[in-house]
Amino acid sequence: MSASRLPGADARPVVAFSFEGQRVEARAGDTVAMALWAAGQPALRASSRDGAPRGVLCNMGICYECLVVVDGDTVRGCMQVVREGMDVRRGGKP
Amino acid sequence: MAETADLIVVGGGIVGCAVVQHCAELLPKGARIVLLDRGPVAGAASASCMGHLMVTPDDAQEYAFSATSVKLWAELEEREGGFDYNPTGALYLADDPADVELFAVLQQQFADHGDRAEILDPRQLRDREPGLAHDLPGALFYRGDGVVLPMMACGAMLRQAQKHNPNVDVRPHTPVTGMLRQGDRMLGVQTANGAIHAEHVVNCCGVWAPELAEMAGQPRLPIVPRAGNLAITGHHVTPIQTQLLEISYIRFAHGAAKVDPTRTDDPGGHAMNMQPQSNGGCLIGSTRQFRGMDRTLNKALLHRSLLRAQRYAPGLAHAPIVRTWVGLRPYSLDKRPLIGPWPPLRGLWIAAGHEGLGITLSPITGRLLAEQITGRPTTIDATPYLPARFLR
Amino acid sequence: MSGERIVDADVGVLGAGPGGMAAAKALAAAGLCVVVLDEGHRAGGQIFRQLPPGAPHAAIAEPPSHAHGHALIDGFGASKVELRSGASVWDAKPGRLWFEQDGASWLLRCKHIVLAPGAYDRCIPFPGWTLPGVLTAGALQVMVRGFGVVPGKRALVVGSGPLLLPTVTALASAGVEVVAALEASSRWRALRALPGVLGNGARLREALWYGRKLLTAGVKLQWGWTVFGVEGDGRVQRATIGKVDADGRPRRETARTIEVDVVGAGFGLVPSIEAGLLLGCASRLLPARGGHCLVVDAEQRTSVAGVYAVGEACGIGGAEVAMAEGELAAAAIVRLARGAPIAAGIARKAARERKAADALLRAFAPLPGLHELAQPETIVCRCEDVTLARAKAAAALHGGSHRAIKIGCRAGMGPCQARICGPSLQALACGRPELPMDLPVAQTPLKAVRSETILNAPEG
Repeated sequence: MSASRLPGADARPVVAFSFEGQRVEARAGDTVAMALWAAGQPALRASSRDGAPRGVLCNMGICYECLVVVDGDTVRGCMQVVREGMDVRRGGKP
Repeated sequence: MAETADLIVVGGGIVGCAVVQHCAELLPKGARIVLLDRGPVAGAASASCMGHLMVTPDDAQEYAFSATSVKLWAELEEREGGFDYNPTGALYLADDPADVELFAVLQQQFADHGDRAEILDPRQLRDREPGLAHDLPGALFYRGDGVVLPMMACGAMLRQAQKHNPNVDVRPHTPVTGMLRQGDRMLGVQTANGAIHAEHVVNCCGVWAPELAEMAGQPRLPIVPRAGNLAITGHHVTPIQTQLLEISYIRFAHGAAKVDPTRTDDPGGHAMNMQPQSNGGCLIGSTRQFRGMDRTLNKALLHRSLLRAQRYAPGLAHAPIVRTWVGLRPYSLDKRPLIGPWPPLRGLWIAAGHEGLGITLSPITGRLLAEQITGRPTTIDATPYLPARFLR
Repeated sequence: MSGERIVDADVGVLGAGPGGMAAAKALAAAGLCVVVLDEGHRAGGQIFRQLPPGAPHAAIAEPPSHAHGHALIDGFGASKVELRSGASVWDAKPGRLWFEQDGASWLLRCKHIVLAPGAYDRCIPFPGWTLPGVLTAGALQVMVRGFGVVPGKRALVVGSGPLLLPTVTALASAGVEVVAALEASSRWRALRALPGVLGNGARLREALWYGRKLLTAGVKLQWGWTVFGVEGDGRVQRATIGKVDADGRPRRETARTIEVDVVGAGFGLVPSIEAGLLLGCASRLLPARGGHCLVVDAEQRTSVAGVYAVGEACGIGGAEVAMAEGELAAAAIVRLARGAPIAAGIARKAARERKAADALLRAFAPLPGLHELAQPETIVCRCEDVTLARAKAAAALHGGSHRAIKIGCRAGMGPCQARICGPSLQALACGRPELPMDLPVAQTPLKAVRSETILNAPEG
């Protein structure tokens, strides 16, 4: 995971959450989308008709391509800040 | 020199498109059919409505009318597709215990026509739709209903028409500026791009049908707008897979309006109707209010809609709402659509005034009109819908 | 319960980017009560993205202009302004902004509104652009400078305009190899930007800084090139690039393939004017400034009384323009509230910065030929999975207007509310690349919010 972060000492506490049942370690202040990118998971949802993988496009809350399901609610992964113990699932076509 | 056609359809909403489709099938091959709309095809009511296919068993006539139309929808899906046809069935729900009695009443109505609807107890309901509130007193399930995307369905109807008859000419963004007549017969229409002559002109202008009739020097048609506020969620959040209707919807939507539709102080009403979308969204309605052509959102009615939707499907509280809007239904003053010739002016036909059942009833409407224009016997009794009833 | 979620202020500011911060800080300094609503997590907007506290940041190189940003963020933070982060404004009328924050429904009541919503990346569809790993240029900057996350190992940067440079330097800072940096405009077209750069000392220093950084990183900007397509199994693995003609039309015979794992695409910015439109503000189409822009007078007043607009919403111009216009809007409001005259220098500075920005951006006005990158099976509307072929069929059958295309294929009807596909949709579907973008539709909610947020909206 460290390889996908900028070098240097990170003073932030680790925040762990679950993504599709797998444990992911993030840092406080990460968004779900960025934590998952750093964890090597760029595909965040299945597109609405084709079910094709989609990931972050705009990273600023505009495009809704990074929709994930957090504790049952569908939210933008790039706007949702990580919380300890949250359950995150891929959004989109089941 | 004016362009000529055999048939001009004015109004490219779902009814106009269905008329074009069925006329393309029944008129002689090679007949020139022109569809005109001042905006996009499917740009007005058909772009701002819900998409239910709904069999109404009120009486034998209504049942035949709606059930035949729903069958035609299934045929269109088979032959053309591309409009998210989804035969979800319908769950009639009740909140008020007094309304529970209506399950059996409606069930009996279906039975009277040899059709079947099942009463579900609370457990059966939960098994079918686990996303519904758990304290509901059961439901009535009718298998024959469904949902479609009306805008895409308009396209499917026109593609079908063009497959039958390559001479079907679709012209969006072409306003009709005048109705051409010679004595007591139609000659054609004047458009922004020139005149078109035709033996038959069909008025499929929905809430604007009276406007077109007046252009032809005819008295005002008995059609008034009835507004509905709608909301749609984002994708993949729908808590339901079946179309939901409050059982009181039957009375509300199809019973006599309690207010004078021509007045503008109607407080409006609501009965829950929710439709799952194929992209996982959920369309939330429905409200009814007479207030002229006003298309501004009535927040109080919209809120009631959202609140009732949450009452039945609590998961919707957190569902993202992507869009809210208002659509106008063409309400006919005797609650039956106008389908057929307009006798005072030979060659002028009307297909309009379906209120909230325009999507359901458009295929049979197109069929009945095409049958009448070509002098065929009609698939079902068309007398109750003849516009001439308003001339008496 | 919902009745308590009302905030009152003299001024409500929408957006905590450079324009919003500058306006808010100046207004607070004059003693006015200011509440800033921002959808992001920290002040700064997209341009002055701040890392979360505690994250390592030493590695990220910043251009000289960002010193202004840091000073502004510090001054803003020290001011009495109330910043509400994570606030999605979803409904508005003059004097009222309704917003959702942490799932709760709020109302901000204020005498004046300053719109500083910024802009978002303009997307131009190309084959494969829906693959995970294709991001906007802005998104890559946010990733690196806002979160300290490394985008990949080998990057391709494509697009047009000045924002490609910070994208390349952000990637280089993060240790990403920038395999190619492709500017679709020709070198000769870009020369038209020179007067805007040379005539403005700060912009010249900025340009030279970027030049040095690219040299150090060993990245050569290729003029008149762009991406033809991206491929990969579930994520980006390779890209086909090639030359374009003077109008941006791909010259297919020049295509070649490179291996990359991340693509940043930035074809300019689109002003975010949705809130302004909902408030009833007049707009006009200014293609060189990114599209439809809010119309403001010499003191940043929109056509609606009590509503001001600054920065990108009035046309793309960059942070310096936004800051100057933010200060000007604040001065105009302070004059109304306190009777204090507007210092002459403030209006002059705003006009000067805007002029320099316009001179620069003229050179990078969208190239129509880039609309030929999309192929029939390329998705143009990502929300509804609409291909170019389907959008074209819709235009042919339903009519060529923006609304007709949306109706005929559902493009633009998904949760992004056409912000992504809208700017290109009509040109693509009608096969007329030169068509300007259509005016966005003003609608409620401005951004998707919870059903219960709408239900619990405080009145007042």
